[in-house]
Amino acid sequence: MYKFFISIILLIFCVDVYAQKLDSSKTKKDTITYKTGYGLRLGIDISRPALSIVDKSFSGLELVGDYRISKNWYAATELGYEEEITFEDFTTSTSKGTFIRLGANYNAYRNWLDMNNEIYIGMRYGFALFDQTLNNYKPNIGNQYFPSNTVQTPVTETGLTAHWTEIQLGIKVETLKNLFLSASFSYKIMLSIDDQKNFKTLYAPGFNRVFESNTGFGFNYTISYLLPFVNK
Amino acid sequence: MKKYIFLLIIVFAGISSCEKDDFCVQNPVTPNLVLRFYDKDNVNEKKKVQRLSIIAQGKTDSLFTNQSIDSIAIPLNSLAQETIYTLKMNSIDNTIINNQIATLTVKYNPEDDYISRSCGFRIIYKDVNLEFTGWINSLSTSQITNIDNQTKAHVQVFH
Repeated sequence: MYKFFISIILLIFCVDVYAQKLDSSKTKKDTITYKTGYGLRLGIDISRPALSIVDKSFSGLELVGDYRISKNWYAATELGYEEEITFEDFTTSTSKGTFIRLGANYNAYRNWLDMNNEIYIGMRYGFALFDQTLNNYKPNIGNQYFPSNTVQTPVTETGLTAHWTEIQLGIKVETLKNLFLSASFSYKIMLSIDDQKNFKTLYAPGFNRVFESNTGFGFNYTISYLLPFVNK
Repeated sequence: MKKYIFLLIIVFAGISSCEKDDFCVQNPVTPNLVLRFYDKDNVNEKKKVQRLSIIAQGKTDSLFTNQSIDSIAIPLNSLAQETIYTLKMNSIDNTIINNQIATLTVKYNPEDDYISRSCGFRIIYKDVNLEFTGWINSLSTSQITNIDNQTKAHVQVFH
């Protein structure tokens, strides 16, 4: 309850400050504009190769790129290749294929002077084309009285597709001139996905693990370089 | 505010990463054959089988021994197309001389059926055919097209 009152008081306080700021801005206007680079930014996800070394069941590569359209908007894309072996209690399956994500980022961070950092919100449409293999499985017979065999014959289905949407939240920091480090988190919602016959797709490239509710999560750590075409 | 959004998302990610597909809660996954025992003279009346022991052909250990019950769920061998059970009962005492024997032959086509990430595949039994000898008087049915659950008894056994 006190929290509520404090929030209300804080809210009033905020409004106050804002009002003041408006008044003062009328009196004098800043005429100096700071230019930042517009152009194509290309990069690579550095977590994927690292993960490939640590985790033997994963290999992948992801390239990222964005193009600045306006002060706060960037057209953005990621594309790559992933292969993941999913080990479950009763099944082992491999999913491998290529994916692309297309969309835009909105930079919600107001930079100081000519700095060019970002805290952004992004929206993406994702598409993956992949193969899935059910490597082996052990029927869950649920009793010890009779034995059960592990079925070792792999079954592969090719040309499976997945479509999804995702929301991204991330930061980009210009560490050296035109060199950016970025970390982002994404929440994905599957629109449609092909399942292998008599089995389900447990992992889709670019989407990561497909949860029971057809949602997924992702993390990206990227290093990218800006090719500035123009400063404005 | 931004901090809170990040925090919320992380908490949300934490919660939803423990989704129900992490644990197989379905029990049993593969259905058993459920038999319920009735009185042959009064077919609406359940009748317990006294001191029932059950063993499958080719096995050296019993599924269970010396129980007086009116309903049993017996597993079927998914690696074969036939499971033969020997049902021994004794309605008088524990002496061997009073044991009564019955056999139940179950023939079927086992099929793999995918359930979920955590439960994997189960077995369902199609075109089930039942035959019996011994103290079993009759069965309510000798054919079941599909055993894919065990919410109720598949066969009523009259004795």
